[in-house]
Amino acid sequence: MVKLSRLTLLHVWLRLLLLQGSWNFERLQGGGWFYAMAPVLRVLYGEKEMQRIAREHVGYFNTHPYLAPTVVGAVIRMELERAAGKELEIGVSEFKEMVASPYAAVGDALFWGGLRPLAAGIALLLAAKGLVVAPVVFLLLFNALPLWFRIAGFISAYELGIQSVEFLQRRKLPDLAIRTKEATVVLFGGVAAFMVFQLLDGKQKPLWLGLLAVPAVLLCGYLARRGISTLMLVLLSSGLILICSLFSADVAVWLP
Amino acid sequence: MSIVLARIDNRLIHGQVLETWLPYVHANCLVVANESISVSPLKRMMMEASVPSRVRVEIGSIVEITELFASGILDDLRVLLLFATTEDSLTALQNGLKFERLNLGNLHAGQGKTQFSCTVFLDPEDVENLEKIDSAGVDVSARCIPADTARNWRKLIPGRRLRIDQR
Amino acid sequence: MISAELAIGAGVALVCGLDRIAALQIMVSRPIVAAPLVAWLLGDVAVGLEIGLMVELLWLARLPVGAAIPPDDTQVSIAGTVLAISLGNLLGQSGLEYQLLCLLIAIPFGKFGQFFDRFARQYNGRKVAQSDRLLETGHFYAMEQAHRMGLCCFALAALGTYFVIICGGLIMIPILAPILLPSLLESAEWLRLALPLVGIAVILGTINVSRALTLFGASFGMAFLLMWLV
Repeated sequence: MVKLSRLTLLHVWLRLLLLQGSWNFERLQGGGWFYAMAPVLRVLYGEKEMQRIAREHVGYFNTHPYLAPTVVGAVIRMELERAAGKELEIGVSEFKEMVASPYAAVGDALFWGGLRPLAAGIALLLAAKGLVVAPVVFLLLFNALPLWFRIAGFISAYELGIQSVEFLQRRKLPDLAIRTKEATVVLFGGVAAFMVFQLLDGKQKPLWLGLLAVPAVLLCGYLARRGISTLMLVLLSSGLILICSLFSADVAVWLP
Repeated sequence: MSIVLARIDNRLIHGQVLETWLPYVHANCLVVANESISVSPLKRMMMEASVPSRVRVEIGSIVEITELFASGILDDLRVLLLFATTEDSLTALQNGLKFERLNLGNLHAGQGKTQFSCTVFLDPEDVENLEKIDSAGVDVSARCIPADTARNWRKLIPGRRLRIDQR
Repeated sequence: MISAELAIGAGVALVCGLDRIAALQIMVSRPIVAAPLVAWLLGDVAVGLEIGLMVELLWLARLPVGAAIPPDDTQVSIAGTVLAISLGNLLGQSGLEYQLLCLLIAIPFGKFGQFFDRFARQYNGRKVAQSDRLLETGHFYAMEQAHRMGLCCFALAALGTYFVIICGGLIMIPILAPILLPSLLESAEWLRLALPLVGIAVILGTINVSRALTLFGASFGMAFLLMWLV
């Protein structure tokens, strides 16, 4: 069996960073997939053969960018076997199609839905306190796990081939994503409380006013669910606050 | 309350469904009506593993799914029903599965397909199928994620109708 | 002077804009990173931190899943920060109320980001047929080049959005500043609080956590009471 040099693998991994560079509505990440696979195909096949094989590598493909290396790693292993003349138990196109959506589902839930708001919440607390390290903390907190998935996923999938899909079954990633989201909601409660307290304390206003923030947030959340866009909510709430501030002198009389 | 959303999406279970639609319609059961997934244990496993454990998943062929709904087991659940193609959803409808609305999510490009919106590509056969579904009284509209506005599928068609007929 | 600062902003807009979809995805495109970054380059980190804080949560719930295009919060925060610092120096304005004015004008223009982004993706789509022809003739290097060209489309989309927001701001802020600044002065602190709260509300409204409201309410109450009593 042909062995791929580490340099080729590194080349593929680096190219995967540009996976979505030609993202489009017809093939989604299809162009980027070929771009990433090209160095391997070139090593394994001659001109004529590559043309035949490449057709399987230009089609419709879309998954989560952080989990794409895991798919690519497994497919490289499959191509190695095919180049060595072994019969594949499952075709490359079929394998791509099979894993793309589940990986995308898991990645979206874990990284976009779970980890990103959590990291943002922590960074926001620091930013509200005026600490300049907030962006750095966000980048470190968020990027550790994706980077691990990108590197370790690529390497282990390259070693395991098709068997690499088992990680999805063994690790309960969707449930982990739900846990992360629950933690995020709790954290956001803290962030909101901190910012409200900071404002009221700074302005020497009565603190019980802060409890009104909860119904305000619930109302906004309800409106958002009813299909009011964020832009609309921003304009509405800032308009409301501007109007209130015009009458603030009158309202102040009513406050204890 | 049974079917809260019926959707055509050739990627079936993926991020848009799990992260946006599932919480939006408060569904607690995902039903996938697809022949090729239901016969392959590996594909089944992959699909099931990508869903949180508190959401029930049922995967089967169109006939199996129709029977499942008829048996009444799903009556107490809020079901999100997924098809891969317009043909599957038409078959299900003809087999007696009832849904009032049909959501067009992703119908990806392919041979002979024309683009009607960012994510909806149809060929003349698809248009015919949708026509039949529409005339059965189902409200068919394209909406990728809840944050988009729903557009009735006929609104997508007019300007390009000619090009389809010519093919 | 201001043109040099706008150019620095454009550089950051380019890098962070590519990070959104096309390349890397190490999340330097998030407002909480992008705004302080450009503000640091322009010499006033604190402004960027404030703007990042206010924008970060607004569209965090709009996930970049599949073909869904979220509004361009990256360019809103970058252009908003550049306007707040550079135009502020020019107009002799500073302070939270002026930053808020820049931001509130930048946010609606962010809508253009979606158009530009969609346009870039559609333009890339037209290249697919060409790429297929290259495959048939065996020009693999040209196919790879075609993929790299896609990056240029996304780069142009990012810059386009940035400049639309900047132009809109340059025209509207000098006009609106005398009218709105006095009342913004009163309410600036409240608005600084309101924007993140709206973001949190939108996230709570769309997150798939059962009993999200209970969890949020309990944790808010707990944290608030603790700070009150201590």
